[in-house]
Amino acid sequence: MDHLQDERREIARALKTPGARPDPSLQITRRTFVHKSLLTAGVAAGAATFGWFPLVNTLDLAWGQTAFKFAWVSDTHLYPKNVNTRFVEKAVRAMKEVQAMNPPADFLIFGGDLAQLGDPVELDLGNDILKEVKIRKVFIPGEHDWYLDMGKKWEALFGKQPWTFDHKGVRFVGLDTVSRAADYWTAKKMTPTERMGHMATLDGSVAGAWAGVGRDQLEWLNKTLSSWAKDRPVIVFTHNPLYEYYPPWNFWVRDWREVQEVLKPYKNVTNIHGHTHQVLYNEIGTMRSIGMLATSWPWPYAPDGVPALTKCHLRADPGDHFDGVGWAQLSVAAAGKVENEYMMWRKKDHILGEAQPDSGCGDNGNQILTPRLADREWVYPGSYK
Amino acid sequence: MRLTRSTLAVSAVLLAVVALMTMGANRALAHKEKHTPDQLKIFEDLFMEQVKLGDLLFHGDGATEKKLNAQLSKTGMACAMCHPFASDTHPHEFPKFQEQMNKFATLRDMINWCIEKPNEGIKINDDSDAMKALEAYIYWSNRGSRLDAGRH
Repeated sequence: MDHLQDERREIARALKTPGARPDPSLQITRRTFVHKSLLTAGVAAGAATFGWFPLVNTLDLAWGQTAFKFAWVSDTHLYPKNVNTRFVEKAVRAMKEVQAMNPPADFLIFGGDLAQLGDPVELDLGNDILKEVKIRKVFIPGEHDWYLDMGKKWEALFGKQPWTFDHKGVRFVGLDTVSRAADYWTAKKMTPTERMGHMATLDGSVAGAWAGVGRDQLEWLNKTLSSWAKDRPVIVFTHNPLYEYYPPWNFWVRDWREVQEVLKPYKNVTNIHGHTHQVLYNEIGTMRSIGMLATSWPWPYAPDGVPALTKCHLRADPGDHFDGVGWAQLSVAAAGKVENEYMMWRKKDHILGEAQPDSGCGDNGNQILTPRLADREWVYPGSYK
Repeated sequence: MRLTRSTLAVSAVLLAVVALMTMGANRALAHKEKHTPDQLKIFEDLFMEQVKLGDLLFHGDGATEKKLNAQLSKTGMACAMCHPFASDTHPHEFPKFQEQMNKFATLRDMINWCIEKPNEGIKINDDSDAMKALEAYIYWSNRGSRLDAGRH
């Protein structure tokens, strides 16, 4: 997959220029997690602090006026109740825990993939479960919510994207990175179910490079941020990461170059995303990016492209459906600090794994994978149950 | 033991017989027909057909399950939902001690564990068509990985 390497080199050339980092006022401090290697090499080496992942991280925000918290939940992937009760159980648990936050969160961001196959039954079920949370809720869609009816039911329940609001000194932005796939269904005369089935297959090739922000939203984003001072904090919520991690699974947006061009002048940008179902951290130019857990199941780390700044989470136990999954709470302190804390249900103190036998990336060095053939040759291999 | 002329003669005959047998075996190998491109294509096609069947099973295709008389999941989950591109299946690391089962396990044991536990499906026979197809897909997807049996 040499073209992937080429793209990564391009990222490095374009954005990782010497000295380009998120604003230095975004100091990462640690509260509950300090890695040993940090205490010796990391602190002394300065830029080498790149090498650790802020399990609980603190970003200094000079403009935070009042302390507040917000919560992120995403990737519940609900089936109808009679098919899979585990996913329902976990979505309910996340909502109950968000509602029980004390002090309460100012809002909940739901980061997409509420449903598994975009079925109105699944979306209604999700909507009911979300009612458990009484605080303000904002939403961005995932691809699993969209491609049965092209977002009709989603928008009827949760409104349109993009959106923005300012909250206690931070400009929040919600983008839709899922609805702009090239039309892979009309020429092949696919039914809506077939269209959804291909979209719901992470390692399928039929839906192609569907993840993208799109020219219209880029223009909107540019305009929306233009009234915001360049050094004030911006938090961008997206379903997909705003950089190139692993395109074959759409662990990216295809127009990341243009997105970064728009964001480049702003020095305090934090992107919070779902879709990848794993602990993930990266810095691209002046933007930092944090990947969130799913409540449903953890994806394996991609065979290559895991950001060097990410410390992979511990291998999940597939026999325990509460392992490797959860939600996140983020807080902005009065002193202007934002903290992100993964709420991984079956692991409290040891979320990250470093040694080869423990790390979720431990086998990636000897895992050369071949992309699928069947879905390319047999146009309609059927759909998920 | 003293070697007599007769024992030497017997030994010589035995040696000759053994040599002839060996030569015969060699001759049988040496006389195997050369493979034609058509033959090789048939072998390859047969294998790839299994890979594709396995791919479809692995991705939860109901029609293929029916065809191969298998029910790999009752939760809506398909194998590929935790193992895109058959990643994290590590066929090149089996056999090995597998913690979940608390036993020394083969890839087939692991496939059946996943079917029974996370997927809540129905275990398949080790020599069933479904097992062979799944194995074909998993091995093919990982064929670039280095053999590393026993690695955890």
